[in-house]
Amino acid sequence: MVLFFNQLINGLGTGAIYALIALGYTMVYGIVKLINFAHGDIMMVGSYTAVLLMVNAGVSFPVALMGSMLICVVFGVAIERVAYKPLREAPRICSLITAIGVSYLLQNSAQLLFSANPRPFPPVFSVPPITLGGISISFVTLVTVVVSVLLMIGLNLFVMTSRTGKAMRAVSEDIGAAKLMGINVNMTISVTFAIGCALAGIGAFLYCIAYPSVAPTMGAMPGLKAFIAAVLGGIGILPGAMLGGFIMGVAESLTKGFVSTQLSDAVVYGILIIVLLFKPSGMLGRVQREKV
Amino acid sequence: MKSKLRSYIINLSATLLVYFVLSTLIGSGAINKYYASILIMIGINVIMTVSLNLTTGFLGELALGHAGFMSVGAFTAGIITKQLTASMGWDAAACLPISLLAGGILAAVMGFLIGVPALRLKGDYLAIITLGFGEIIRVIIQNMQITGGASGISRIPRINNFSITFFVMAAVIVVMFTLGRSRHGRAILSIRENAVAAESTGISVTRYKIFAFTFAAFFAGIAGGLYAHQIGRISAATFDFNKSIEYLVMVVLGGMGSITGSIIAAGVLTLLPELLRQFADYRMLLYSIMLILMMLFRPKGLMGTAEFSLTFVWDRLTGFYKRAASSKATPKPVTMPDSPTYAVKEGAPVLETRNLGIRFGGLQAAEGVNLQLFDNEIVGLIGPNGAGKTTVFNMLTGVYLPTEGDIQLLGQSIVGKKTYEIVADGVARTFQNIRLFKSMTVLENIKVAFHTRMHYSPASGIFRLPKYAREERGIEQRARELLRVFNMEESADLPADGLPYGQQRKLEICRALATSPKVLLLDEPAAGMNPIETRELMETIGLIRNRFSVAILLIEHDMKLVMGICERIYVLNYGRIIAQGTPTEIRNNPEVIRAYLGHSDGGVKKGEEGEAHGNA
Amino acid sequence: MAMLDVNGLNVYYGAIHALHDVSFTVEKGEIVTLIGANGAGKTSILHAISRLIPAKSGTIAFNGQPITGQDAYKLVGKGLSQVPEGRRIFAQMTVLENLEMGAYTRRDKGELQRDLDMVFGHFPRLKERVKQMAGTLSGGEQQMLATGRALMAHPTLLMMDEPSMGLSPILVEEIFAIIRDINKEGTTILLVEQNAHMALSIANRAYVLETGNIVMEGEASKLLNDDQVKSAYLGT
Repeated sequence: MVLFFNQLINGLGTGAIYALIALGYTMVYGIVKLINFAHGDIMMVGSYTAVLLMVNAGVSFPVALMGSMLICVVFGVAIERVAYKPLREAPRICSLITAIGVSYLLQNSAQLLFSANPRPFPPVFSVPPITLGGISISFVTLVTVVVSVLLMIGLNLFVMTSRTGKAMRAVSEDIGAAKLMGINVNMTISVTFAIGCALAGIGAFLYCIAYPSVAPTMGAMPGLKAFIAAVLGGIGILPGAMLGGFIMGVAESLTKGFVSTQLSDAVVYGILIIVLLFKPSGMLGRVQREKV
Repeated sequence: MKSKLRSYIINLSATLLVYFVLSTLIGSGAINKYYASILIMIGINVIMTVSLNLTTGFLGELALGHAGFMSVGAFTAGIITKQLTASMGWDAAACLPISLLAGGILAAVMGFLIGVPALRLKGDYLAIITLGFGEIIRVIIQNMQITGGASGISRIPRINNFSITFFVMAAVIVVMFTLGRSRHGRAILSIRENAVAAESTGISVTRYKIFAFTFAAFFAGIAGGLYAHQIGRISAATFDFNKSIEYLVMVVLGGMGSITGSIIAAGVLTLLPELLRQFADYRMLLYSIMLILMMLFRPKGLMGTAEFSLTFVWDRLTGFYKRAASSKATPKPVTMPDSPTYAVKEGAPVLETRNLGIRFGGLQAAEGVNLQLFDNEIVGLIGPNGAGKTTVFNMLTGVYLPTEGDIQLLGQSIVGKKTYEIVADGVARTFQNIRLFKSMTVLENIKVAFHTRMHYSPASGIFRLPKYAREERGIEQRARELLRVFNMEESADLPADGLPYGQQRKLEICRALATSPKVLLLDEPAAGMNPIETRELMETIGLIRNRFSVAILLIEHDMKLVMGICERIYVLNYGRIIAQGTPTEIRNNPEVIRAYLGHSDGGVKKGEEGEAHGNA
Repeated sequence: MAMLDVNGLNVYYGAIHALHDVSFTVEKGEIVTLIGANGAGKTSILHAISRLIPAKSGTIAFNGQPITGQDAYKLVGKGLSQVPEGRRIFAQMTVLENLEMGAYTRRDKGELQRDLDMVFGHFPRLKERVKQMAGTLSGGEQQMLATGRALMAHPTLLMMDEPSMGLSPILVEEIFAIIRDINKEGTTILLVEQNAHMALSIANRAYVLETGNIVMEGEASKLLNDDQVKSAYLGT
C-alpha cells in the first residue's frame, strides 16, 4: 500500500513535468496543426542552458531558470520562423518531416558541442522529504506539482481571458476570420510558440532537479511521452494536456513499481495506441467530420 | 508488344552486366572486403527504402515504424537459421531462403495486424501510431526470451553475400515496378492523389491501404533477414526510431514516389557516411540539415515522382525509335473491361429515393426526398445555396448514411453500401471541386476508373501473366476510345493538372463514364465556366446521354444550362423538395421564384417559420 | 473621391482566371450590391479587397489610399470590415467573446460598451445569448453575430458576403432591414448577394457579375425590373 502511494506521488511528479511539456505540444498543434517533434529537444536546450549558467557561469538558480526559459523561447520562435512558417500551406507530411529534422539537428548539435556524455545537474534543493505515515514526498516532487498546477491554471486563465489569449483561440479556429478581425496572425503564432517553449524551459528545470543529469538525447523520451499525454487528453485542448500528463506519469510510475521497469515504455506506447484506436480525438476531444 | 519485350531484354541485360562487373571486381579483390560489405549494405538499404517508398511515396502515408518490420524479419530469420542449423543439422545456406521468407511473412503479418486498425487514421495520427507500434515491437523484442532479451541474438551464420543480396534486391525492385504499373499500383497511387476520388471511381481505399502497408512490411522483413545473416549479431536497439528516420530520409531525398530516386538515395546515403568516416560525428547533423533544407526548397527530392527508364535512354542513344513497328505487329489478344448489362424494367425508374432524409445531430439536412430518375433521362436538381443538394448526392453515393428512407438502384436498395460498392453497382459521380488525380496523366486517370471492371490479381500484375497483358491492352484501347469520343485524345499523355479548367471538367466526367455506370451524378459541372465552356458542356452532356445509355442527374446553379438540357427538374430548399416538373413549369412556379429571387411582392408568406442551421 | 475604388482587378486560383478586369466604386454613404449566380466570383472580390487572397493585377484604393499591397490584418484598423461568407464565427467562443474579437483593434475601452449596446440594439436576440457558445446558435443568430462582430470594429465600410445564405425568408427580411438601418446610421455598405431581389431592393447602385466579369451596372431600382437580370437568374 505504501509502495502504491509512493509510486503514485512519484507519478504525479513526473506527470506534472509531462503536463508542462505537453502544454507546449498542444498549444502549437492547436494553432498551426503541427506536431512539433522538436519540442522535447527544446527542453534539452533549456536544460543545457541551465547547467551552463549554474556550473560554468556560477549563476544562482532563479537567474538560471530565467535564462533557460529565455533561450528556449528564442530557439522556439526562431525555429518557427525559419523552418515552419514557410511550410504553413504545404502538405502536412512536409512539416512533419521538417520537425523531425529540427529535432535531430538540435540533438546532434548538442552532441557535438557538449559530447554525448551526460553531465550532472547541480543540486538545487536540499530540503528533506516530508513523511506521512511511511509515505514520503520529496520536496522536489511537491514543488514540481505545485508549480505545474499553478502554471497550468495561469495559462488557462491567460488563454481564456486575455486579449492575446483570445486571439490565439481565434487563430486556431479560423485563420482567415482572425485576419478579418485585425489579428496579426504571424505574431500570434510566434507568441504561442514562445509560451509553449517557456513552459518547456520550466519543465526542463524541474525535470533536471528530479533527474539531475543532462545529455543531448534527454529530451527525446520525455518529449515523446509528453506528446502522447497531449494526444491522450485531446490534442489542441489545454486541460487535456494537463489531464494526459498526469495520467501518463502515474501509469508509468505504477508500471515501474508493480510490473517491470523495462515494460514501462511499452505501457506508455500501449496507452497511445489504445487512445488512437478508440478515441483519436482524445479523452476531452471532439470528433471532426470531413467535408466532401 | 514488341517494345515491351525489348524493354525487358534491355533491363535484364543491364542488370546482369552490373552484376557481373561488380561480382568480378569483388571476386578478384579489386573491391576489397570492406567495400564489398558496403555494397551489400547498399543492397539491403535499397530494399528497405524502396519498400518504405511504397507506403510513404506511392500511397502517400507517412509511416514511422518501418524499422520495426525489419526487426521482426531479422529476428525471425536469425532464429530459424540458428534452430535449423543447430538442432536439425541443416546446411546454413539451405536455410536462408526459408528463413528469409519466414521473416518476410511474419513481418507482413505484423504489418497487417498493425495496418488494419492504424490505417483508419489519417496523416499525423497515422504517423504517430506507426511510431508507437515500431517502438512497441522494439520493447517487446527486448523483453522476450527467445529473442535474447536486451542483448539480442548473436552467432547467426553469416552466409549472406553479394550475389544473394544483389538478386534479392533486383527482384524487389522489379516487383515494385511491375506492381506500380499494374492496376493495383494505379489504385494505390490514386489514393495518394485524391482518396475521395479514388473511392468514387470504385477503389476500396481501406483494402488498398492495408495491402500496400502489408506488402511494404514483407519486404522490410526480407531486408531484415538479409541484415541478420550479414552482420551475424542483432539486437532490438539497432532497429529503433532512428533507423526508421534514416530510411525516411532516404525516401524523401530520392523523391517520394520514385523507385529510381529511392535506389539512388539509398546508395548515396549508405556510401557517403562510410566515405566520410572521419566525419562520423557530423553525419546525423548533416542528415538533419539536409532534411530541413529539402523540405524548404525541394520537397520533391532528387527525382520527384519520375522514374529513370533505361529503355528510353537506350532508344535515344541508338536512335532506335520504331513506333511504327507496333502498329504492324500481329494483333495481340485483348480482354475488354466488363460492360455490365443493367436490368432496366420497362417504365420503372433506374434510381429512386423514397422518403430519403438525414439528420446530423440537431440539424435535419434533408427530409422526405422523393425523386425518380428514369433511363436515358437528364434531370436537374436545383436549389439555393445550402439547400442540401450535395447532401443528397452524398447519400446516393454512400458517403453519408441516411437516417431515414431508402434509395433503390434498379430495384435494389443501396443504403448502407460502401461508395466503391455502389460504383460497381452502377452509380458514378463528379465533384463540385474537381477531383482529378493531378499528377497522373489524362489516360491514367481514365485507366484508374476501369478498376472495378477488371479482374487480374496483384500476382498477375507483378509477374506479368497473360491475364494482366490482355486486360491492360483492353483498357488502353477502351480508354483511348473514350477520350476520342470527348475530343481529348491528343491530351492523353499530359498531366491532368496541366489541362485548362473546362477540359479538366470533361476529364472528370469522362473518368466517371469509364466505370460503365447506369446513373451519372454531376455535381455543379458548370461551376467556374464561362458561357462558351458552358455551351460545350451542354453539348457534351447531350452526347453522353445519346452515346452511353445512362441516366443523368445534375446539380447546377447555371440556369441557362439547367433549363437548356434538363427534361425534368427537382427544386430543393431547406432539405425538402418544393417543386418538380418540366423547365417551363419550374420557371413559372411562384414558390421557386420566391426561393431563388426573393419575394416578387416584398411581403412575407404567412405561416413560414423555422430556420436552417449551418450549411448542407 | 470614392470611398472604395477597385480598378482592373484580376484574380487567379491556380490556373483558373476567376476575376477578369473587375472595376467598380463605392461612394460614401451608399449601399452598393454585387449580384450574380454562384461561381460568378463575388466572394473572390471581397477576399481580394480584404487581402485574404492576392490579386494578380489591378488596384484597390480605400479613401484614396492604395491597399493592394497591405497585410490583411491592417485593414480593419483603417475602417474596412467584412462579414464573411458562411459567417465564420468562432464556434468555441461565446457570443460576447466573438463580439470582443470584432473590437480587437479598438483601444478605446469606454467606447466598447457603447458599441456593444449599439449591436444589441440592432440584434436583441444576441443580448439574450451573451454567454452562449457561438457554435450552438442557429443559422440566423450566427448571421446576426457575424454582422454584429463586424460592426464592433466601428467600420466606415462594411462588406457583407451573402448574408442571406441558408436563412429562412423571414430572417432574410429581418437582416436586410437591419442592414438598411446600419446604413442609415452612417456606415457605407458593399453587399454581395445571391438573393438579387432583396439586395436590389435596399441598394442604391448595383453591379451584375457573370463568370468573373461585370456585365451590367446601374441604379438598383432600374436593374430590379430589368429582363436581362431576370433571365440570368431563371434562364430563358
